[in-house]
Amino acid sequence: MKRVLPPNVSAAQFKDALADFAKAIGSDWVLSSDEDIATYSDIYNPGPEEEWLPSAAVAPGSVEEVQEVVRIANKYKTPLWTVARGKNLGYGTAAPRLPGSIVLDMGRMKKIRMVDEELGYCVIEPGVSFFDLYEHLQKMGGKLMMSVPGNGWGSVMGNALDHGVGYTPYGLHASKICGMEVVMPDGGMLRTGMGAMEGNHAAHLFPFNYGPTWDQMFTQSNLGIVCSMGLWLMPTPDSSLQLTIDIPKAEDIGWVIDTLTPLKVSGLIDQNVFIPSWLGKISVIGTRKDFWDKPSAIPEWRVNELLKQYKLGYWQVSMRLYGEVDVVKAKAEVVKTAFRKQTDQPIDELWWHKGDPTNVMDTTLGVPTAVPLQMGAWVGGRSAHLGFSPVVPAQSSHVLGQLKRSQELYAKYDVDFYASFTIGGRFVNNINMLMFDRDKPKDVQNIKDLFDELIVVTKEAGYGEYRTHLNWMDEVAQTFDYGDNAMTRYNEIVKDALDPNGILSPGKQGVWPRAYRQFARR
Amino acid sequence: MKTPLLFGFMLAVSSLGAAAENSGMPPLPPHQMRLEVPDGDRTQSPASGEQLFSNACGYCHLTFGMGTNVLMGRRMAMGLPPQTALLANRTDLTADYIAMVVRSGQGDMPRITRVDLTDSELALVAEYLTRNNP
Repeated sequence: MKRVLPPNVSAAQFKDALADFAKAIGSDWVLSSDEDIATYSDIYNPGPEEEWLPSAAVAPGSVEEVQEVVRIANKYKTPLWTVARGKNLGYGTAAPRLPGSIVLDMGRMKKIRMVDEELGYCVIEPGVSFFDLYEHLQKMGGKLMMSVPGNGWGSVMGNALDHGVGYTPYGLHASKICGMEVVMPDGGMLRTGMGAMEGNHAAHLFPFNYGPTWDQMFTQSNLGIVCSMGLWLMPTPDSSLQLTIDIPKAEDIGWVIDTLTPLKVSGLIDQNVFIPSWLGKISVIGTRKDFWDKPSAIPEWRVNELLKQYKLGYWQVSMRLYGEVDVVKAKAEVVKTAFRKQTDQPIDELWWHKGDPTNVMDTTLGVPTAVPLQMGAWVGGRSAHLGFSPVVPAQSSHVLGQLKRSQELYAKYDVDFYASFTIGGRFVNNINMLMFDRDKPKDVQNIKDLFDELIVVTKEAGYGEYRTHLNWMDEVAQTFDYGDNAMTRYNEIVKDALDPNGILSPGKQGVWPRAYRQFARR
Repeated sequence: MKTPLLFGFMLAVSSLGAAAENSGMPPLPPHQMRLEVPDGDRTQSPASGEQLFSNACGYCHLTFGMGTNVLMGRRMAMGLPPQTALLANRTDLTADYIAMVVRSGQGDMPRITRVDLTDSELALVAEYLTRNNP
């Protein structure tokens, strides 16, 4: 395994730093063997795994140990790349943007500090996974429901901090954060919101500070290390109805969006509605070779054959309504009437009542699962995936335009098209999955070229990504170019003021401290 | 009622649980309700291998888990019984092989760090998964 030191740090200084870390947190939690380095590389990287290698990892077990780690990192100027559980699969896993950074793995801190069932919130540490919290809530009696993303293996906090989304009414996870405990770049402590007052009883209830509000400053950010946070949880509803409809053609997504958006904006539908294309469904029942035996992208005629054979629509819309039975029934009538104006496709109904068992992978009822990751096996071999994730207005003109651009580029690069649209409100998160076999260098390069062009073409059309893999953090940051990249300059001013040594996660989302700005790709 | 596409597949997977029960295996926890791991020094783990396997590997390797699903397809294609998709039912895994897969990853399984599973915990998991080896 190739070894990389932090920039501008000698081997002797690095050794001294590791010795100090070991004194602070115990030598068992300073991880620096070749095997350790490999476990923190990005195994899904589109390119060599050595591209984003850390120099070591450290895993503190308490807030005080995090503070001490930060002080030592400042002393030796060894940058830290903070991860919660490091399961940001498809966006870089646990690997650092700046090679040689030391991964600050917060996975040992996994206390669920409190759950308030009456007011519907919890206070959690970074190592708490979706499964951990789900099981905890179930053991308490299931009065509260989580919102989970596609990969329940990851950290609840890490997902919210990285702007992950789920599929319940609480699915915009970052918006449900309330009150954080943060270690600052100098090792000091800060509590946000009402928690800024010692002993305040509303620390995780009122979403604003007295004065400027900073919680969101610590999301997708390298300005502090969040050690715990409040997260609002939805009371488990009395009942829920899932309405599922297969939508036959790709272009139908236009009227689907125009039908759903008014219902979403009005609040009649309160969940985030996930609309995957056919490949998302079929990849769970088989791999690519089961359906198409050639290396080229599956042609349209074969797609149509598969849709017919497996009785699939090009899209599948599953809407879930939550609440008292009578309310849900009334809402369902409104939704069905709206769809009936557009299609005769059957609308299937699946009721759930509090206390009923849930489907094992029902993310819309807050049940965590890792099964959606199975799509990665689609291409076979040592498979991996990336997500190209622009945000577009929830209107047919924008959605169809984005769909057309993506489809054309996928066709140009001869790659199977797999997209989903998740209506989160007035906007749609459009996730375009790119799956590849890591052992096929030509395919990997093709995927990278496709990703590059997706960024450029999408930006030219007036849209940007909400999240991206390490490899494109700078490129995507540069697409936010208003005022000659005024936002980049602002981020850098704040970064340099708070973190003069540039210790915390340099390069995260394209925000580089002065100390390492020469590593930015601009 | 419409049968969602995944449901048929899940029924196939759920037969694993029944199969496990019929074969004398303890009933599998529903919905990946994993076993708890007692608090303690994780570098000399006080937990049992079964607890650790369930808690650290159960995300994917209990019934309905992604790993179980993927392995079931592969095992059945090899003419092997579906129950062997559950790692806890296997009798052909070795401790070295388990350690290699955990630390190096396999297929689309990422590598597992020593924060996720310490060396002490990994040894206990390996002991558990090899307990029925001939």
